[in-house]
Amino acid sequence: MNPGLRTSASGMKAQQLMVDTIANNLANVNTTGFKRSRVSFEDVLYETLQGAQVVNPRDPQTIAPVQIGKGVRLASILRLHTQGAPEQTGRPLDVAIDGEGFFQVQRADGTIAYTRDGTFTMSDTGAIVTSGGYRLQPNISVPADAQNLGISPSGVITANNGGTTTELGRVELARFVNPSGLMSLGENMYSETAASGQPVTGAPQEPGFGRLLQGMLESSNVEIVQEMTDMIAAQRAYEINAKAVQAGEDMMTATNGLIR
Amino acid sequence: MTLRGILNAAHGLSYYSRLQEVTANNLANVSTDGFKVDRMTGQLAPGTSYPVPVQHLDLAQGGLRETGRELDVALTGPGFLVVKTPQGERLTRGGSLHLDPAGQLVDPDGNPVLGHNGPIVLTAGKVEIQSDGTVKADDVAIDQLRLETVADPSQLRKEGTGRFVSDAKTIPADTATTSLRQGSVEEPNSDAILGMIDLVTIQRAYSANVDALKAMDGVLGTVAGEIGRV
Repeated sequence: MNPGLRTSASGMKAQQLMVDTIANNLANVNTTGFKRSRVSFEDVLYETLQGAQVVNPRDPQTIAPVQIGKGVRLASILRLHTQGAPEQTGRPLDVAIDGEGFFQVQRADGTIAYTRDGTFTMSDTGAIVTSGGYRLQPNISVPADAQNLGISPSGVITANNGGTTTELGRVELARFVNPSGLMSLGENMYSETAASGQPVTGAPQEPGFGRLLQGMLESSNVEIVQEMTDMIAAQRAYEINAKAVQAGEDMMTATNGLIR
Repeated sequence: MTLRGILNAAHGLSYYSRLQEVTANNLANVSTDGFKVDRMTGQLAPGTSYPVPVQHLDLAQGGLRETGRELDVALTGPGFLVVKTPQGERLTRGGSLHLDPAGQLVDPDGNPVLGHNGPIVLTAGKVEIQSDGTVKADDVAIDQLRLETVADPSQLRKEGTGRFVSDAKTIPADTATTSLRQGSVEEPNSDAILGMIDLVTIQRAYSANVDALKAMDGVLGTVAGEIGRV
């Protein structure tokens, strides 16, 4: 059996994964705060047929070793936390983060999750919650009669009732040393992992944190043109590996034809 | 002599099937960051008339692809990053680095990437990796990544997962020619079109050898079956 077949099959599998990831990026092109993913591959074991050889003991020149690689495998799928473009919505409780940081929200089991999706609404008890119903942390309660809610770039939430401005609280952001190590929970939320590091919290506009933009939402950082060209490249690479399988197969057929 | 001819054709077949494997591996890795292609050529062994495989590692620079991820590093120039594996120090062309639970900067396999003072620990702050390898967290310099190379690339062996083993001592890379780029990865230096052409050539050469073998087998058959007949 031609061992190159398996090598090419691993290449086809890798390109399939690439297309799957691109498809998910494209499916989320309009998801608020979505961050695109990128697949990273690595080569696998090498069979060393012969090690490096010294041609002539008096001459330090060596011949390189002869090594045959056995294909490719997935190294990791990385989320790229680059900034998405802010989009104007005009809703007072839509907030985009321009720069570093995540909103902190409390999940049903009491743990904290992190999100860039600032589509907030008010709950029946006056708490500020995400579109999924999770409370923004630290808790900020808005009185029932509050009007003209304002959220400043530095995160201060105010209400303005007939000329008097009252401060209701301040939004706190969290940031991570390695945001691509965060785990996706769905619903645009992430949880911390050993790879992401511990969250560092701070107010917006403090050193290292972004500012808040009220009445805006962060669109996804998926660029359709980029994804489409990547898709074409992946499709061609898949075809090339399929051709390599075919070439290996033809060689086997030729060998089999030796016996009459 | 026909028997020698059959042997030569068989050696040719074995050479071309290895060449096909190497080409298949180069093509399987057309999307692998930091991958360097292997080039196999045939060389006539002294006193014979069949090719013996000779390989060299093509260390040509791959294109850079911007990702915007802070822990993606690409190298330009002849240098390598140094990682510490349980088997000893290994060289790598960078790529997508990670942090382990202790905050150490590691390669995709969890091997620490070494700076001049050993593993680099990043626990908080914005990571900045400068072109000379200086790693900063929130503008405070932590360490400088070791950039090394070898005098003779033929002494590098591939270990898989993007790592290279050097049989000779590594030397510091020349910082004038080697630099790091944060937020980018190095694309493989393979050429899919050349690979396809190679595949076709290999396939045809293989069939030609098979045909030659068949022809010589036919001659032998005639010799054994007909000439001897009275």
